[in-house]
Amino acid sequence: MDSNRIEELLNKYWNCETSLEEEQQLREYFKGGGIPEQWKETAALFRYFEENKKKALSDLAFDAEVLKNVNPPKQGKLVKLFYNSMRIAAGVAVVMMAVWFVRKEVRQTTPQQVVDTYDDPQLAFEETKKALLMISKSFGKAENQAKKINMFNEAQEEIQKKEKEKNKNL
Amino acid sequence: MNLESFQTQVLPVKNKLFRFALKFVGSEEEAKDVVQEVFIRVWNGREQMNEVQNWEAWCMRITRNLSLDRIRSMNRKQTHPIEESFNVQHEALTPHESTEIHESMQRINQLIAALPEKQRQVIHLRDVEGYSYNEICDILELDMNQVKVNLFRARNAVREKLTKINAYGL
Repeated sequence: MDSNRIEELLNKYWNCETSLEEEQQLREYFKGGGIPEQWKETAALFRYFEENKKKALSDLAFDAEVLKNVNPPKQGKLVKLFYNSMRIAAGVAVVMMAVWFVRKEVRQTTPQQVVDTYDDPQLAFEETKKALLMISKSFGKAENQAKKINMFNEAQEEIQKKEKEKNKNL
Repeated sequence: MNLESFQTQVLPVKNKLFRFALKFVGSEEEAKDVVQEVFIRVWNGREQMNEVQNWEAWCMRITRNLSLDRIRSMNRKQTHPIEESFNVQHEALTPHESTEIHESMQRINQLIAALPEKQRQVIHLRDVEGYSYNEICDILELDMNQVKVNLFRARNAVREKLTKINAYGL
């Protein structure tokens, strides 16, 4: 490239009017040797940019590290299954323990009312009969008392009848 | 985005992110940590990635934000200029030329490190990484005018000092 063209490009460059392609041309030009004395420092500037671009992450394990961070290794299927079932089992165990404790507490606070003692069917039958007889006896008693109330009714009806006859005669 | 496309498309920009982070945090170890974190963020936000127009610029922006966070948490307002070493080996150059270039590059490194932060970022993104003005706007969240003004100031500050060096050998 002739020096006039470089001069022109450089002027544009200092005025921030160069395109990216033109800046690349300047970089390419200053990469080579035999730069005229007047542009020596300018050449150093462009070389500085080029050198800066070469700087890179020197850590070879960097990619692997990033990938490990963004994508943690998956657990085996069996391990996962075991892990999940243990979690469910733990949950169930907690619920069962809670139920057991509550039941125990409730049983202690409420007295037992019914004690079933009849293992012998014959005895159970006799006891049932006894209980039913007792109920029937009580019913009988109640009926007798109720009959007394009936007397009032009959008496009232008698009076009403007599009243009606009296009114008819009048 | 799946892991494979992450590996083939996103991971290769690591060096660009690394260089950019290095401009802020100043130490390679810190810069590497920042890039690690950027990739984790990118992976976690991969659903958004389809909505982002330019995902590379998006990654660069995350790098910038995380680097700034890190600087803040380090309670360090200004990063230390990095002691960079340049290994210039061009076959076209004589050993004498090589040494000379090496020395001027060290000077340029100091010049650029002395620029205000924004100018340093813009000149890095444009002249080292070769981003378009639009992309730089995206990365730095600045408007076009601010980007151009900062680039213009940066380039001219460098030019001025280079001319002085050239003229007086300072």
